[in-house]
Amino acid sequence: MPLLSLANPSSPAGHEMLLLRSASVFRSVSRRISTVRMAAISTSGEKGASPAGQVQLPPSPPPVQVAKRLENFKTTIFTQMSLLAIKHGAINLGQGFPNFDGPEFVKEAAIEAIKEGKNQYARGYGVPELNSAIAERFKKDTGLQVNPEKEVTVTSGCTEAIAATILGLINPGDEVVLFAPFYDSYLATLSMAGAEVKSVTLCPPDFAVPLDELKSVVTKKTRAIMINTPHNPTGKMFNREELEVIASLCIENDILVFTDEVYDKLAFEAEHISIASLPGMYERTVTMNSLGKTFSLTGWKIGWAVAPPHLTWGFRQAHSFLTFSTSTPMQWAASVALRAPDTYYEELKRDYLAKKAILVEGLKAAGFIVYPSSGTYFVMVDHTPFGFENDITFCEYLITEVGVVAIPTSVFYLNPEEGKSLVRFTFCKDEHTLRAAVERMKERLHKR
Amino acid sequence: MEAKLSKASRALNASPIQEISHLAQRCGAINLAEGFPDFPAPPHVKHAAVAAIAADLNQYRHVQGICDLLAVKMKQNHVLDFDPLTDFVICCGQSEAFAATILATIDQGDEVLIFDPAYETYESCIILAGGIPVYVPLDPPYWTLNVDKFMRSFTGRTKAVVLNSYSPHNPTGKVFSKEELEVIAAACCQMDCLAITDEVYEYITFDTHKHLSIASLPMMKERTIITSSLSKTFSVTGWRIGWACAPTAIASAIRNIHIKVTDSAPAPFQEAALAALQSPPEYFSSLKADYVAKRNFLIKMLSEVGFQVHNKPQGSVFIFAELPKTCLLSDIDFVKELIEKAGVAAVPGRGFFHGDCNDQTQQSRYVRFAFCKSNDTLSAADQKMRSCVGK
Repeated sequence: MPLLSLANPSSPAGHEMLLLRSASVFRSVSRRISTVRMAAISTSGEKGASPAGQVQLPPSPPPVQVAKRLENFKTTIFTQMSLLAIKHGAINLGQGFPNFDGPEFVKEAAIEAIKEGKNQYARGYGVPELNSAIAERFKKDTGLQVNPEKEVTVTSGCTEAIAATILGLINPGDEVVLFAPFYDSYLATLSMAGAEVKSVTLCPPDFAVPLDELKSVVTKKTRAIMINTPHNPTGKMFNREELEVIASLCIENDILVFTDEVYDKLAFEAEHISIASLPGMYERTVTMNSLGKTFSLTGWKIGWAVAPPHLTWGFRQAHSFLTFSTSTPMQWAASVALRAPDTYYEELKRDYLAKKAILVEGLKAAGFIVYPSSGTYFVMVDHTPFGFENDITFCEYLITEVGVVAIPTSVFYLNPEEGKSLVRFTFCKDEHTLRAAVERMKERLHKR
Repeated sequence: MEAKLSKASRALNASPIQEISHLAQRCGAINLAEGFPDFPAPPHVKHAAVAAIAADLNQYRHVQGICDLLAVKMKQNHVLDFDPLTDFVICCGQSEAFAATILATIDQGDEVLIFDPAYETYESCIILAGGIPVYVPLDPPYWTLNVDKFMRSFTGRTKAVVLNSYSPHNPTGKVFSKEELEVIAAACCQMDCLAITDEVYEYITFDTHKHLSIASLPMMKERTIITSSLSKTFSVTGWRIGWACAPTAIASAIRNIHIKVTDSAPAPFQEAALAALQSPPEYFSSLKADYVAKRNFLIKMLSEVGFQVHNKPQGSVFIFAELPKTCLLSDIDFVKELIEKAGVAAVPGRGFFHGDCNDQTQQSRYVRFAFCKSNDTLSAADQKMRSCVGK
């Protein structure tokens, strides 16, 4: 099966490219090979004897022995699409990472760190300067004072923070509630941990949380609720009322919250609110974030989690065996980045707002139904005016006939049907690229 | 709220090595405890990383060139054919490669054999995957494979054997001989188990010993997962560039896990890995020569102050020395005294033994010293140790 590695060594390796669907290959090999083993033992006729020089070889190469936890992994449509995209020279507004680079002052800091010899293992839970910088930033953003040594842990990107949270705090059989559409690693990691997943769907046009449905889904049996705000792929931001309802459900039923806030600095139309700052919530919340989106350095893999000590402990255990420690020079650079003045963030927002305007106007002019996106660098649109059966066929057409890549969103739902009229575009690209893509769509897309 | 922790994470304990490290730091001791260098990384590798950052290679990447170079090395070093497009997974260090391998292959209740003495990271990983670590004691003083104990460790639930010859999780520096590997290989084939190797010290082997990977033995390639990294070979333990190498279907499973755990390794350091892996043969031969000299220096020092160094390490950067016969202190007390009085830090050996595998008194008689330090550091340690002889 084709994998992400292409002949082009600079082809992107973003997570969206690597969703995996359980193929029959995985199902068939994930069972234990007890029958083969029994055969091997009985034919040897020498159970318990020293094997030296008396090996009875199995009759054929051993079937692959992979763990059951891979059964729910979804296969990628995106691998095929990215191949298609390159073949057709399509402009890529699908991948969720910038085609421009991070700020010089942060890159310089990393270069300095390398030259100064900061190239050996960092302390497992983070370089002290970075832990402090994270705590300071968290205080500025939420008003909460946290202990950098006991409540902040640095990880290889927010992806690892999510993995460590789930593997450190979720037991097999635990019930976890997700909001669909959801970032793909949540479901895969939850199934790795053996969790029972329930999802509540956010629907267009405003992707508001269906509060009554949420109240009926969340029970005393629920262990955790996962939130992503600002939200990928919809651009929705959880508002105060929604967060208060979630908070009261959590307090009433003693539930944890895992919140992924990597786009918090790309909050355009609303104020970003961290649920940890609501009364009674800090003690039951893991707040995750990363450097990559805010500083356009997605490949550096610097992420973190802020959580009270009793939750941090489990998180750190999982983290210590997943990666042990995080890239040292980048951590030093991150501590410099997080102390950036307010002007950096203001300029970031201004730049992204300009890009968003280009994309949104262009998508509307091309004929899409464009849903308002309050945050992130994503916009969700309805493609049905163009008459395609589903999001995947539309995206294939968009690549091959129009020369633009978007992401089909059905893979972000437990029930793919719910996403079939929606696709996601990103505007984390330079303006030239955005304008070129918009032109192609205006010229070549025809309503049916 | 502690009830909120997963059962698995509650089974784990804090590290004794870290506590000693903190004491050592407080006393300003010379650190021969931790297994990472205090000398700089090679300039050509650092330069490549700096260049990558400056050239804007900072977004999510998979650098296929690394896999191409690794495939060449597998062929050169082990006469093994791996497909660079499908058989390698680039991870955040060997740590992640190992974790992803375990998560990809170990189900609830699967048993995994680990040779003892060994550091506990493997065990933590296996437990968190729902597996059961089973320790197989090696026989002191040379840490030889006890075939009987080894074979009796297998059950119907044994899924894999971990080989840590070239690993920092092997404190002894012992490397399995070809004969021992053949026994292990035969058992893996007969019992239909996987072999998972940790080969981070693959280029730091001594004397006539050549790094032999179990994957190159007959019928083993299809059931072996090799993990390794840049860290020790290029003195960049903080960069987090490692990999797993396995037959295609297993590599694919490992990749799937890796993508959910971290998604990708740090981009600029992947680029630097290209430069590192293309280092000329002279780099590797002088790496070895430097480490041999350091090893010999430390062995001499330890022997002359009374330690019993039964086992000259054939690989890695550690010496597992037995306390002088005249010393009545336990390993922990000895190490504390050494820090406080001699200003030199090492690691008490008991943390590497598990359960009742070995004689209890034996377990508290060893101390692990690292020699991945500059010659200045080693000389300074030498002076301090000698001046405290007979403390």
